[in-house]
Amino acid sequence: MDITDAIAETTTPLPGDLGRDEVVDLRVHASVLPPPTARIVRLREVMRATPCSICLERPRLLRAFERSREGKLADKEHATIRRAKALRYVLQHRAPRIYDDELIVGNMSSKRIGANYYHEGISVNILEDIARLETRAVPLHLTAAEKRELLKLGLWGATRSIAARSLGRPGRLSHFAHLLRPRRYIVTEEAGISHQVGGYADVVQCGLIRVDSRAAACIASGLLENGSPANADQLAFFASVRIAVEGVVAMATHLAEACEARAAAATTTPERRDELRIIAAGCRHVPLHPARTLQEGLQACWLVHVALNLEDYEQGLSFGRLDQILGPLYARAVGASASATDVTATTHADTSRIVELLASFELKTCETIPLFSERVDMGFSGNTVGQAITLGGVDAAGDDATNPLSGLFLDAFAQIQTREPNMQVRVHAQTPEWFLHKAMAVVQLGSGSPALFGDAAIIGALQAVGVAEAHARDYAVIGCVEIASPGRTYNSSDAALINLPLCLELALNRGRQFPGPHGSRKQLGARTPPVAELLTFEDVVAAFRAQVVDAVDEVAQVLSWLEPCYRAHRTTPVNSMITEGCVESGRDVTWGGAMYDMTALQAVGLADTGDSLHALRRLVFDDKAMSLTAFVAILTTDFADQEPLRLRLQRRFEHYGNGDRRADEMTDLAANIYADAIGSHSNSRGGVWIPGFYSMTCGTSFGSVTGALPNGRHAGARLSNGFSPVDGSDASGPTALLRSAASLSTQRWANGGALNIKFDAHTVRGRVGRDALASLFRTYLVDQAGMQVQINVLDSETLRAAKLDPNAFPNLLVRVSGYCAYFNDLQPEIQDELIARTAHGVH
Amino acid sequence: MACTDPAASVGGASASPAPLIFAIQHFCIHDGPGTRSVVFFKGCPLRCQWCQNPESWRRETELAHKGHLCIDCDTCVDVCPTGALTAPGVWDPARCDLCLRCVDACPAAAMVRFGEPRSADDVLAALQPEFNLYRRSAGGVTLSGGEATLFVPLATEIAQRLKNQAIHSTLETCGLFKLAAVQPLLAAIDLVLFDLKLFDDEAHRAQCGAGNAGVKENLRALVRRAASGAGPRVWPRLPIIPGITSVADNVTGWASLLQEIGVRGVTLVPYHQFGAGKRSWLPDAPAAPELGALSPAELARSAAILAAHGVQSFAPGAEDWRLAGGVATRG
Repeated sequence: MDITDAIAETTTPLPGDLGRDEVVDLRVHASVLPPPTARIVRLREVMRATPCSICLERPRLLRAFERSREGKLADKEHATIRRAKALRYVLQHRAPRIYDDELIVGNMSSKRIGANYYHEGISVNILEDIARLETRAVPLHLTAAEKRELLKLGLWGATRSIAARSLGRPGRLSHFAHLLRPRRYIVTEEAGISHQVGGYADVVQCGLIRVDSRAAACIASGLLENGSPANADQLAFFASVRIAVEGVVAMATHLAEACEARAAAATTTPERRDELRIIAAGCRHVPLHPARTLQEGLQACWLVHVALNLEDYEQGLSFGRLDQILGPLYARAVGASASATDVTATTHADTSRIVELLASFELKTCETIPLFSERVDMGFSGNTVGQAITLGGVDAAGDDATNPLSGLFLDAFAQIQTREPNMQVRVHAQTPEWFLHKAMAVVQLGSGSPALFGDAAIIGALQAVGVAEAHARDYAVIGCVEIASPGRTYNSSDAALINLPLCLELALNRGRQFPGPHGSRKQLGARTPPVAELLTFEDVVAAFRAQVVDAVDEVAQVLSWLEPCYRAHRTTPVNSMITEGCVESGRDVTWGGAMYDMTALQAVGLADTGDSLHALRRLVFDDKAMSLTAFVAILTTDFADQEPLRLRLQRRFEHYGNGDRRADEMTDLAANIYADAIGSHSNSRGGVWIPGFYSMTCGTSFGSVTGALPNGRHAGARLSNGFSPVDGSDASGPTALLRSAASLSTQRWANGGALNIKFDAHTVRGRVGRDALASLFRTYLVDQAGMQVQINVLDSETLRAAKLDPNAFPNLLVRVSGYCAYFNDLQPEIQDELIARTAHGVH
Repeated sequence: MACTDPAASVGGASASPAPLIFAIQHFCIHDGPGTRSVVFFKGCPLRCQWCQNPESWRRETELAHKGHLCIDCDTCVDVCPTGALTAPGVWDPARCDLCLRCVDACPAAAMVRFGEPRSADDVLAALQPEFNLYRRSAGGVTLSGGEATLFVPLATEIAQRLKNQAIHSTLETCGLFKLAAVQPLLAAIDLVLFDLKLFDDEAHRAQCGAGNAGVKENLRALVRRAASGAGPRVWPRLPIIPGITSVADNVTGWASLLQEIGVRGVTLVPYHQFGAGKRSWLPDAPAAPELGALSPAELARSAAILAAHGVQSFAPGAEDWRLAGGVATRG
């Protein structure tokens, strides 16, 4: 029992006038976290209980198409038409599946929870695990017959993968090998580009019929919309759009038919019959036509999303600002103005029904998982594909756009708390208190969602790379942290990740790794000067810069081989039809059709790099405690017999994340060197390169192949995450951590970044915790123009698990009235106390 | 450690060594309204057995050893110029002249110092970056310790400079001070968190090292002044220590007094054991008593007793400050 509860039992509510804050708080209590309906509980439990599997329907149908008469005829056509027809074939022939209770229909695969198979990308990797599918960390359940079919389809598709097409030739094979054991970088674009926030506003308001008729008009006239003649590629593009629309409509129609058949079944209850008929009517109408109701709006978004998933690849396919897109339909549903912030204007029954609809929609995102072998999963674990929903923020004029639907999407998520979708909340100066408090109430549940994004920082970063102000203000999150102006952008936002600390290791050893089990013996990097010739700190920085440039240049080389293959073999008409600029220019997104085009590379291990630069500068050049040569010799032995020095670097030196200017400046220097290297490139679609600072779980895989670092990190240890401090080095509390984070030059980070902050559930519980978190993050995101933060509230089970590994217990905030806590030394007994208190909440 | 006379226990006010601060801690959410920074002054007239901050007791700089961080590298022994340190974490205080070379040299951050002389400028500079958060959260700064009233000039200067910038300041006190002497500080402070412990004077002396007659007198005086608008608002806090302050008679005693002087709200501060490990860091601190865990029932019973006297109980951080006696100067 919590003390607050214990005390509350003996006291009565306060009489009299409540202040404004309390009214807000009461509204949060009244409206936040309404309990799920019985339907949502059933749906949620089904999704939790269903084992994961692999769906083979997509490759099976694609192979069938290839061998069909239609497919053979298509061989003679333009490649993009062939690709569109293959997609249409899949959409037409896939079996519709309607599940009990759901209000939004459209199966993502043939399995209730299944990974789609993308032979164009890296799905073939799963064959590495075929003998142990059921015993992997993420078990996948297939019948013996399915496994045989997986093997057959895997071999069929392997030669058709983008890697085989682009790298499977003399002179490029070493890069192919690097993809299997990434060290300096990992080219994620090898798997697929996807990562899109389509123009769902148009899908909902205009329907696909609009883009279809525009394409039809261009084909009929032979002209682009601007009156200039369309060439063969452009005409083929318009045809591909129309073919893809046909496919989407066919899929929707089959779903409608399946609903109608179910409705007609004798076993269907009258209530469910009515629901199914409404759903069927919706699927016969959307996404071809404008949505008439909120339910149809959600259904339209979902069907286009499914088509996008089946088109090419599934990572990071996101919905954008659904509260804005569906706001007018919500208003119609409740008969009020969507801009009215008065949540209480709607009746309880209305709200409950709408939240149920949203929860049903959100649960659909749990039907898909990524297909990674355990080797690949080391860098990308979490079993999510990153389907983001962005809420709140400003409108095109810069005014607050938060509406009641913004909160209801969070209510719905609170009821399910599933690994998908990714809930993303935008925060700006006018973000209403009730909305931020609701977001914090959901954060308190401990699912790590929603993440918060600072409008000021992100809008500025997008404008800096040429996005118009109104379009930048309309930004939405792609996947986890990446950013796009929705429906206008083609951002290969997850093209590659670069191992930044490894660049420093290479800089200290003439482009080679330190010897040791982690290291490669090859000349991995540029031949920078030997360490004896690095006489000043500036020399070290110059060598590091050269290594970063070298690594980035090599990724540029690999991407330059991939991009033509995308243009030829992986055009994406669905993606293009919901991206502004494509129909105007008659070009697929892979051909550079989008209004804004970008390629983004992420840096992994930023804080480890910055802290290492600081440690090196202080130890060697400021304190002159030893020569650079001597220090590097110690690093090459991974601090053998040098534990006191290693600890001194870890515990006594300044670190990023403590509001210490000198340390923070070194982390910013590392980020800027990286951003400089990225900024010198552009892609072959005419788009700019932009930097991002997130790691997925590549900090672990990259860390395992990276040598000892000057900040005291052992060889092989995992690297710091995103733009978070090195684990355990933030010893000054959350306010200092956030100040450090906000001090970085995020205006250059157009692809965003990830900052993790952890609390135990007890410290930030209840209204006190909610208030404290809301003001903490408002200060960070608004006053300090911070870019992003994701808040992990850890329960006792997580803490107990962390305690088993002495290095894994997070540097948690300990706050008790009057108690002076020393952040950086959570002794074992304090850890126990913290766990006990989080578990029982007595204190 | 027995110390009946606060002045004697801390070396005497007349000696007035430079005030030491042993920590400034930010993002505190249970020490007054909103989100706050807590400035911990070093030195306390009491020696409460259950104290969670034993490093706050003595007014002098102290050397301490965090055994769980030590790697037994002997660096501290090697650098000790007086030979006071004979093994990691083992030293003869009589021979130690607090040169702190061991602290500077310790690679593991195991040898530490508690207490640094800090000027008001210095403290304000540490607080300044948090001002926005104070304003956003309707929070501020809490002067705690130890006992900040032992250092009236410094505490007053800090509070006054915060007041000049419209930052809310709170004094957290054990209540044992000479009222006239702390007058300048009270004039600069917005809220006093007044800690109550044992109601019985003898019990207070036994558990906390000094009697409580002065504490009660000061509480009455401060509440009276607050009510007339002549002093900062006052809010009592009662730590609920199992078997010590939690016993019904003790809570009843305080409840009656609070009722008599017109106090309507109190914070019940639940006992915890986070401070126990710190005792082993200090060479001469007695081990923490084995008190066992606090049960929710003890808390609920304490709250019920107070409620019966018209005093509402709150968890730390969850107080309704509108019940505080006196006139709000700000916020």
